[in-house]
Amino acid sequence: MIDDYTRLLEATAEIEDKAASDAAVTKLILHLKSAGRMKMLPKIARELKKVAARRHALRPFVEVAHHKEEAAALRAAAEAGIDARHAVVNPSLIHGWRARSNGNLIDHSAKRALLHIYQNVTR
Amino acid sequence: MQSIIERIEKEIAAWAPEAGAEETGIVRATGDGIAEIDGLTKTAMSEMVLFDPTFDRTLTEALKDPLPIYGLVLNLEEDGVRAVILGDATKIHEGMLVRRLGRLLSIAVGDSFIGRVVNPLGEPVDGKGPIQAAEMRPIEREAYGVIDRASVNVPLHTGVKAIDAMIPIGRGQRELIIGDRGTGKTSIAIDTIINQKSEPVATRPICIYVAIGQKESKTAKLVAELESRGAMEYSIVVTAPASAPAALQFLAPFAGATIGEYFMEAGRDALVVYDDLSKQAVAYRQMSLLLRRPPGREAYPGDIFYLHSRLLERAAKLSKEKGGGSLTALPIIETQEGDVSAYIPTNVISITDGQIYLEANLFNKGQRPAINVGISVSRVGSSAQTKAMKKVAGKIKLELAQFRELEAFMQFSSDLDVETKKRIDAGRRMTEILNQGRGAPLPFEMEAVIIFAATNGYFDSFAPEEVSAMEKKLQDYLAREADGVLAAIKESKEIREGSEKTLREKLDAFIARQAA
Repeated sequence: MIDDYTRLLEATAEIEDKAASDAAVTKLILHLKSAGRMKMLPKIARELKKVAARRHALRPFVEVAHHKEEAAALRAAAEAGIDARHAVVNPSLIHGWRARSNGNLIDHSAKRALLHIYQNVTR
Repeated sequence: MQSIIERIEKEIAAWAPEAGAEETGIVRATGDGIAEIDGLTKTAMSEMVLFDPTFDRTLTEALKDPLPIYGLVLNLEEDGVRAVILGDATKIHEGMLVRRLGRLLSIAVGDSFIGRVVNPLGEPVDGKGPIQAAEMRPIEREAYGVIDRASVNVPLHTGVKAIDAMIPIGRGQRELIIGDRGTGKTSIAIDTIINQKSEPVATRPICIYVAIGQKESKTAKLVAELESRGAMEYSIVVTAPASAPAALQFLAPFAGATIGEYFMEAGRDALVVYDDLSKQAVAYRQMSLLLRRPPGREAYPGDIFYLHSRLLERAAKLSKEKGGGSLTALPIIETQEGDVSAYIPTNVISITDGQIYLEANLFNKGQRPAINVGISVSRVGSSAQTKAMKKVAGKIKLELAQFRELEAFMQFSSDLDVETKKRIDAGRRMTEILNQGRGAPLPFEMEAVIIFAATNGYFDSFAPEEVSAMEKKLQDYLAREADGVLAAIKESKEIREGSEKTLREKLDAFIARQAA
């Protein structure tokens, strides 16, 4: 039951219209009250937080080693199907970029290449 | 020169690292050796994943600790997966990147494993350096089917008289050793491994001892014993100690079976001892509960029977077309207060081809091994018994069972007839003959000759309490005076007319010498 309500709210969050999604939440609370199931509300909130955290973890995310590589990285990532609005600078990449979205990772960084060399040499 | 430098600089500027695209996940939560992972939607059940500690570190930090930690996916869920962590779970943190490896959990196998102590992932833990593996094999695989198997027809001598005479084990059989704690279960398994030293090198089984949830001191002691007896030359120890994560304790028997199968498929014989499956079941229960699988009887998950059946079904005697190798399994189960009707014991009893039941009462009475012959059975071993042993051990089991009944009856009646007294004395003598201390396995030809002497009345002139000492003397005498007969029995696997005649003469001479 909790899963069902959570899925319902998750779907509501997809709707761009804020008023409509607020109305859906109000109706759900009224329904829970009338059904005597208000105890479920904290559990639903917890589940929703989990869903939000999962979405955040799996959101399109592009990292670049230097600012100057941002435009090229975003373009290349978009070509690979990862659409991000901007990139985050991560100097630990040394050179290049990496992008991930929905469980897919494209690593175009020098750090990966150097680690790969190190692992092959020390194996 | 300048043009060369410019050319090189141009090459460096144009260098772009190669892209690597892969499916990954992110650790959502971790605890109790389980990681909840978001993503990895295409992962298969039992697939290995890699928790990458280098992903969110600088290159310098990553190079200090580049060793990955593996995980095993055991729950596929709607919005992610759950995996057990096969290593130090404290290094796993929320937000960590998890990579798919695209292969089922596999371990290295090969001849170079012989003489080594490894963990369930096939990594050496004996400090003797890395092992050169012949190949990698998935630890979970389907057992051989009916067509690929042959019937069990070659004996596996344990060196324990009571077992080889009454509960014979064949190569490819699954014989359960069951009993309370401290009743000598491990001793039987270890004696069996040590006894393989007396087998010819060409047909000597490779022995794999899998220690599950045991104290590391016990395993170290056991390895030292195997080494001191020269048994590590043909043995491998797989250890998942009590301090290891539950996942490794659950995997250890499968790793043992995988290593054993490598030798079986090479046309050789292998013996694998699972010590013990009760602890493996407990580890699996722990994992299943943490993975939020619904608990069943005694809180074990619903597939606990399948866990043991798919493991033990991998023991087989292969057909000639498949190379004729074999994998014999000796699973061990620990009972509580002798209760064989508990969940796990009944499951494993029904899966195996027989059981050796050890009783605490008999152990406390001084019987070694403390086997209850009444309820111990070998369902397929008799067809693998040698002619020599069949000939001498034919009715021992029945006579001993009758003796146990009479012994019980004797407690209520002081007035016994001559025939009953005779039977009781014979039973006591036979019990003494079958008594055998730990670490003293006998070659099969010596067992056959001792039992021959006992069943043909050569010990009848001695009181039951003298029999044990006389048997020891007889062993020394035969080794000294009758090595030709012993060699003939070992060679032909039967007591032929000529050998029997010589043997009787030697036994008569021994008895006469003792009487004098």
